[in-house]
Amino acid sequence: MTNSQLRKQKSAASVENEILPFVISGIKDILLRMDNNLLDNLEEIRLRAGKPLMVFVKNADWFVTAEGILTKDITAAYPVSQAEILKTTELMSENSVYAYQDEIRAGYLTLRGGHRVGLSGRVILQDGQIRNIKDFSGLNIRVSKEVTGCSKHIIKFITKKSCDIYNTLIIGPPQCGKTTILRDMARTLSNGAPELDFSGLKVGIVDERSEIAACFKGVPQNDVGFRTDIMDGCPKTQGMEMLLRSMSPNIIITDEIGTQGDKAAILKVLNSGVKIITSAHGYSITELKMREELLAMIKAGVFERYIVLSSGNGPGTLEEVVDSQLTAIYRRQGNDN
Amino acid sequence: MIIKILGAVILIGATSFIGFFLASECSKRPRALRELQSLLQMLENEISYLSNILAEAFNRIYENTDFDTAVLFGEAARHLGSDGCTADFAWETAVEENYGRLSLNGEDRNILLSFGKMLGNSDLEGQLNNIRMISSQLKVQEIKAEEIKKKNEKMYRSLGVLSGLAIAIILL
Repeated sequence: MTNSQLRKQKSAASVENEILPFVISGIKDILLRMDNNLLDNLEEIRLRAGKPLMVFVKNADWFVTAEGILTKDITAAYPVSQAEILKTTELMSENSVYAYQDEIRAGYLTLRGGHRVGLSGRVILQDGQIRNIKDFSGLNIRVSKEVTGCSKHIIKFITKKSCDIYNTLIIGPPQCGKTTILRDMARTLSNGAPELDFSGLKVGIVDERSEIAACFKGVPQNDVGFRTDIMDGCPKTQGMEMLLRSMSPNIIITDEIGTQGDKAAILKVLNSGVKIITSAHGYSITELKMREELLAMIKAGVFERYIVLSSGNGPGTLEEVVDSQLTAIYRRQGNDN
Repeated sequence: MIIKILGAVILIGATSFIGFFLASECSKRPRALRELQSLLQMLENEISYLSNILAEAFNRIYENTDFDTAVLFGEAARHLGSDGCTADFAWETAVEENYGRLSLNGEDRNILLSFGKMLGNSDLEGQLNNIRMISSQLKVQEIKAEEIKKKNEKMYRSLGVLSGLAIAIILL
């Protein structure tokens, strides 16, 4: 193996080794023809039936030609057929759609390595419940990135003492790195951070959509720390209760709250003296107040720290940190909002 | 004279042996079809109760039985292990490469190939329906094969012995 090949393997490892084996060969070859540097930095790969092959990289979406070149010219783009999408889903489910039925029903598949594949297609209902999705017409392959240390600049705002933290809500629009930061926080808080004089705490993660720990058959594919227990694929409200009862965590971490019942579950966590770190979709705290369940939690002073993220300076940009009285502790320089 | 009798005995023995051998060949196909049905039954358990992925289910079936026909599952599992191989292709290759060796005929092969088309690409209910449908088709094949076997088995045996006798009489 030549040197350049070796380098390529290393740099584009996650996309090439963890995603491409599950992509139908025609499209795989196109993506392999892509520049290594780009391949490594892909954030999303999108397949839509009868539409051009698209990728999202470096904050913009591009069409991809059959030669693997990124373009803005739609006529040069490689058109994806539905057959290719169906075959790709078969490969992604390891030829065992039946074994991934629950995930597919929820609209996604998780690949080994924690990459999330969103599915769209014809939904089959039975008694008003979603029973299955078939005739897939769209795939969104989200490349999961484990960025060790990406929460370094944030974690100092949420630690209280060497073994205590503030209840925290992370707010940000999609694709600004909420989950990535949540994952890094879990790892740091679980392992402890000597530079912050923080000793590790027991962390429980309720990973409703297998995004934080990215469990593959129950085993976390991402490093979430050695004092961490994970309820994988478990509904948030039930998962929090189960963890409280059985795993005696110090901190519970969960993703994307805001649906009915979340408040009651979170209050139960707090009443047991357990801290919570969670996230919500949104651009600002003002926007969150429009949502009833979240407004009630904000009013009740559930959260002691609000961390607002954006992708202003790339994913994971810290916009502001706010305390429970909604007074700012930190605000990014040069931010007009 | 003694040499003649000895020759005749050897001749009859040889033709009888060929006859019995052909007769035993006849029972291979119904046995293979019966085995396939029980292997499919195992597959049903693997995917419905254990929810194992296909490659794993195939491998377990291959390793846990000593049926000759299990080679189909073993081969398919091996193909599934390679990159970008879909279930229908893996199964098709395994069937095409092995059906002759397993004494299966063209009709059996077509049934097995149609099984591959649905393999792994639908929900549990679809998979179970597919398995049951193929099982019942194999059952029909088995009954037919059993009839052919009965008919031919007797014929080959008596033909073996009688042809030996006939040749011996002519030569004597």
